[in-house]
Amino acid sequence: MFTVSSLTKSRAQVRVLDDVSLAGDEGTVTALVGPSGSGKSTLLRCLNGLETFDAGQIAIAGHRLGAGPHAPALLERLRRDVGMVFQQFNLFANLSAVENVALAPRVVLGISTGDARARGLDLLDRVGLRSFADARPATLSGGQQQRVAIARALAMRPRVMLFDEPTSALDPAMTAEVMEVIVELARAGQTMVVVTHDHGFARRAASRVVELAAGRIARQGLAADVL
Amino acid sequence: MKSLLGALAVVGCLAAATAATTAADLDEVVARGELIWAADQEGGGPHVFPDPANPQRLTGFEVDLAALLAEELGVKPRFQQGQWDRLPLLLGRTADCVINGIELTPERHRDYHCSRPYFAYSLQLLARRDRTLDTFEKLAAPGPEGRWRVGVLTGSAAESIMRSRSDLEVDVIGYDGTIDSLEQVSTGVLDAAVMDDCIFNFYADRFSRLRTVDRPFAGGFYTILTARDTPKLSAAIDAAIGRLIADGRLKSLYDRWDLAGRQQMLMLRDAAEIPVARRKTVGELARDTLPLLLKSAGMTVLLSCLAFPLAVSIGLAVAVGRMYGPMWLRPLLTAYVEVLRGTPLMLQLYAIFFLLPKIGLALPAVVAAVIGLALNYSAYESEIYRAGLKAVPLGQFEASLSLGLSKWQALRHVLVPQAVRIVMPPVTSDFIALFKDTSVCSAITVIELTKRYSVLALSTGRIVELAVVTALLYLCMSWPLALLSRWFERRLERPAAGGATEG
Repeated sequence: MFTVSSLTKSRAQVRVLDDVSLAGDEGTVTALVGPSGSGKSTLLRCLNGLETFDAGQIAIAGHRLGAGPHAPALLERLRRDVGMVFQQFNLFANLSAVENVALAPRVVLGISTGDARARGLDLLDRVGLRSFADARPATLSGGQQQRVAIARALAMRPRVMLFDEPTSALDPAMTAEVMEVIVELARAGQTMVVVTHDHGFARRAASRVVELAAGRIARQGLAADVL
Repeated sequence: MKSLLGALAVVGCLAAATAATTAADLDEVVARGELIWAADQEGGGPHVFPDPANPQRLTGFEVDLAALLAEELGVKPRFQQGQWDRLPLLLGRTADCVINGIELTPERHRDYHCSRPYFAYSLQLLARRDRTLDTFEKLAAPGPEGRWRVGVLTGSAAESIMRSRSDLEVDVIGYDGTIDSLEQVSTGVLDAAVMDDCIFNFYADRFSRLRTVDRPFAGGFYTILTARDTPKLSAAIDAAIGRLIADGRLKSLYDRWDLAGRQQMLMLRDAAEIPVARRKTVGELARDTLPLLLKSAGMTVLLSCLAFPLAVSIGLAVAVGRMYGPMWLRPLLTAYVEVLRGTPLMLQLYAIFFLLPKIGLALPAVVAAVIGLALNYSAYESEIYRAGLKAVPLGQFEASLSLGLSKWQALRHVLVPQAVRIVMPPVTSDFIALFKDTSVCSAITVIELTKRYSVLALSTGRIVELAVVTALLYLCMSWPLALLSRWFERRLERPAAGGATEG
């Protein structure tokens, strides 16, 4: 489902990614672990083109990214198939929960407002927030916001989901509720790449674990072997 | 609120000007050793204008006259600059007298002391050589493009005479500068201009496309204005003019300026007494001025309501272009903003109204005013929107992109709606500012409320009463705006309206 080959990226004379190669099959969950600054978030952001890289290649969900700047049209096509969930949720503050979920299907896929809303309600139901459909993000807890953000990414029915430290901004109780949703997705066979500090979560949800250190892959293998 | 305070301040100043000051009488002028005379050097030749050979120095026949008068009083002359139609307001404050082609009228007779005439003027109709207007009589019937558009100097006798001629099919347009109307006739914006013949004679070389139409059709005399409470100074000036006429010094002065001294002396000798205008009762004042003030208030509202939505739209587009547009466009838009913010609104209006016709683009004054206001304010609005767009967390932009939205879709659905809400209070406050800035448009002949007040106050002499009415009119208009702005702020404070607090 995705292959990263010899990815290299420098920022201000520092190699943030150094000859990184990894791959993941359909239906697998890959956990990216490692200390802060090891390059795991940068690697994740390269996967959907939010960051560019200097050398190497990425193939993901049937799209190819090369070194240097990417064409906007290519990125727009790729991102329909690759969803992303951010550490800071990044919900659209001007829209209600269900509008957050329904926006991209409506605007990008051209689905009618009614159908997009129905899809949004279904997904909110799936993350346990149907009753909050018309709430504004600012009135939701962090855990609720992150679950809306997951529903929002799922609304495009992506082939791959990227999670960038999805629980780092949450307290333990909220972490648990978000974790539950992600584990449920893994069980349902969603291909995922998850950047996390939480080894317990990686052990529980991930099929493979990739450990980065100073921009290089330190270890990778089955979750049980690496951790 | 600001407009109310501003208007009250104006009332205060005017009240002080008209009532509370005591003007300097002759003893004080002599003790000071200087006669301070007021004029507008922008008014131009042949009266008072910067010497082309040395623009630091003023010249003109009235500069020479002021020197002769001061000499007669045994003092030195000192020039005081002022806006022509407001020169009389300087009396008793910064000037002892006004010498600047002030026509002797019944109204001026009522409000100031008018000296004996020192110059006879004649009003001349002027038009372009290649146009059909070749006799004064043609003004009595509509021209090829409807009513004739005739430019005059605001506050001049030409203006009041042309406005009082209901038998003519003319729209009279007042200009702040003497030769502005000549420029506008030359570029074809106006059909004709009316002014004192000596002014046109002086500038005839510069406006070779124009010609005089018929002989002068009216005329009168210039007078020197002094305050009513300086009788000794007024008498001394009258006596001095008498001596200058009697011993021929005035005649040779006019001959030196090519102003037909002999003819002038004959006309001055025959000068008839001018009646004194009666002060209007409050009822008459209300009847004569209220409809005009209301109409002009309507112009103020019209200008604001047309210009501001335009300014906001352009400003938003410029802000988006500067932040997200193609790289080559960004420096151009930055230059757009800096040029419009860095030059005065007055100058921009002037350029649109007076300079565009020179390249063949003549806009009606109201259209030019709306465009000028909109462009000027668009620069400020774009800076506000830029700040608003920056205030939306970058993460939301990245989240939109990660969902497959294009940059423009992200702007349209996520960034701009939030930025618009964030900047609502400063934008509303700018609307109130623009509302008051409409008064600058009088520079390009648009008569809005402030200009109308100024004209009516000077012609009726009821400066304080009309100021109060004008202030109330401004308040009636700006109060709802202030309420609207507060309503927006309250709406923003409600969390459900989408405050960007997270976590």
